[in-house]
Amino acid sequence: MLDIRSLSKKFGAGNSAFHALKSIDITIEEGEFFTLLGPSGCGKTTLLRMIAGFEQPSGGQLVLDGKDIAMIPPNNRPVNTVFQSYALFPHMTVAQNVAFGLEARGATPSEVAGRVDEMLEIVQMSHLRDRKSSQMSGGQQQRVALARALAPRPRILLLDEPLSALDLKLRKQMQVELKRLQREMGLTFIFVTHDQDEALTMSDRIAVMEGGTLQQVSDPRALYDHPANRFVAEFIGDANFLAGVIADAKLGMAGQPPVPLPRNEAANGPVTVMIRPEQVVVGPLAKDAITLNGRIETLVFSGNDTQASVRLQNGETLRLRAQNNLHAETTLTEGQRLQVSLPLDALRLLPQEAADAA
Amino acid sequence: MAEKRFDVTHMPGVATIAIVTFLALYIPVLILVVNAFNASDTAGRWEGATLRWFAAALDNTAFRRAALNSAIVALTAATLSTVLATAAALAVTRGRHIKGQGGIFVILNQPLLVPEIVFAIALMVVLAQVKQATGYQGLGYVIVAHTTFCIPFAFLPIRARLSGMDLTLETASMDLYASRFYTFRRVTLPLLLPGILAGFMLAFVISLDNVVVSSLIKSPGQETLPTYLMGELRRNLTSEIYAISALLLFASISIVAASWFVTRTRQ
Repeated sequence: MLDIRSLSKKFGAGNSAFHALKSIDITIEEGEFFTLLGPSGCGKTTLLRMIAGFEQPSGGQLVLDGKDIAMIPPNNRPVNTVFQSYALFPHMTVAQNVAFGLEARGATPSEVAGRVDEMLEIVQMSHLRDRKSSQMSGGQQQRVALARALAPRPRILLLDEPLSALDLKLRKQMQVELKRLQREMGLTFIFVTHDQDEALTMSDRIAVMEGGTLQQVSDPRALYDHPANRFVAEFIGDANFLAGVIADAKLGMAGQPPVPLPRNEAANGPVTVMIRPEQVVVGPLAKDAITLNGRIETLVFSGNDTQASVRLQNGETLRLRAQNNLHAETTLTEGQRLQVSLPLDALRLLPQEAADAA
Repeated sequence: MAEKRFDVTHMPGVATIAIVTFLALYIPVLILVVNAFNASDTAGRWEGATLRWFAAALDNTAFRRAALNSAIVALTAATLSTVLATAAALAVTRGRHIKGQGGIFVILNQPLLVPEIVFAIALMVVLAQVKQATGYQGLGYVIVAHTTFCIPFAFLPIRARLSGMDLTLETASMDLYASRFYTFRRVTLPLLLPGILAGFMLAFVISLDNVVVSSLIKSPGQETLPTYLMGELRRNLTSEIYAISALLLFASISIVAASWFVTRTRQ
């Protein structure tokens, strides 16, 4: 549906030019909830603004339904935006805000009225249709902004961190509602956020961005379980990184004898071994695991689980999460010596980056 | 905040100075207004209230002509200067960065930088040539002159309003299929309106009470309210002059009050 082809954007010129986006390629499918995720300054908002038409690319194409729209002004693109600040027109009522896009397109008054009623119904704002936007709460403004952007039936809805101004409880509730709306109406959403939880819970697919480049594009589960590199592993969830060496399909780490790997995924040489803290097992495992000795340095109780920081014999630190289950066989105490096991199928071998060597 | 900051309102004598200043500013004006209602012919001796002087003023054709001229000049000059000021404010805050934007401020603020009398003399000399060349003797000269010095007064509230406006609103409008013109008409202009009204009213008041430029530019026989009052004063200080002054004062105050009200409620 939307083909982003080698899209790039640079601000400024010459040596001082800033490359906000460096040759991005993504294909977004019809009916998909697609999230652009990354820290601030990674280029996700620039990409969104280019799809909306507020910025012009320095190179590449934006092909929507087979047509390059990269140079088409925003008012001629079948794409609407829900802004971070909502940007509701303060001098208009809720209904007038929702009608705006339809009227600007020249819809007949009866079409406008019908569609406005329908949209207000969908976002459950019919009872406030004559309110001014300044007299509404953040959550209500959010719904109006959504109705306004959806009213002209855009091919794609762009959402620029729309939930970031809401408090936690409302945010969770809106996440569910947004997702439901998108699925029920079969809409295509491109959602920008820096919040990894939000991205994981709502998206069909996530593109992780950093420094103007795509780090990985996949579904939430694959992103979490099989991060492509250290940045993705660190940005999504919590991760341990340990040094390892591959030799003849065997992995050696932390001074232990090399263990044969189930699948030979990596070439010989040093690697970074990633494991999620919740995958670390306390105590020895019979097979297909690397068992290491260590000592608990710190324990942090956080309700449903306890996070322990274990100093391994070779000096590396391993963090683990243990569920606080009443019937758990072992209890952890600070200073305790223990064995921890790293199941082989929970290990991810990441290419070693320059930063890892330091 | 536990730390005590320096606060001028806590200094001794602040209230006294404020009250004295207030009285010094408003007591003379109040006396003038009272005199306008005084039945006595001589100021300073109260002989009961009357509207006689107002009636006399309204009956006076010279006053009526001057008032009409003032109204025409102020309305036209305020309208023209507001339109120009709006365009200038839009160009400065919305347009691409223009070369020499600082220069625009120098132009706009010319009336504040150049002493009014200097400007008036300069304009008089130039317009005298134009009058001779064209033979036109109408109010147009006064209107043009007033428009020039009203622009900065109209400009300030409009620009303040524009720079306080959320640019995302215009972006949102463009996103919702609106053209530039449609965006201006349905989003920018309605939101700017309080600023435009305030600018217009300010310009109107500035034009209404101008003496120096009017008296040097006007053609012989033409009078605006302030120049008419100046002329009358030279002859005789009558109670009718008090009444006319009071009328001018009321007009001015109501317009300023209205502009204050408009900017307050339409935020």
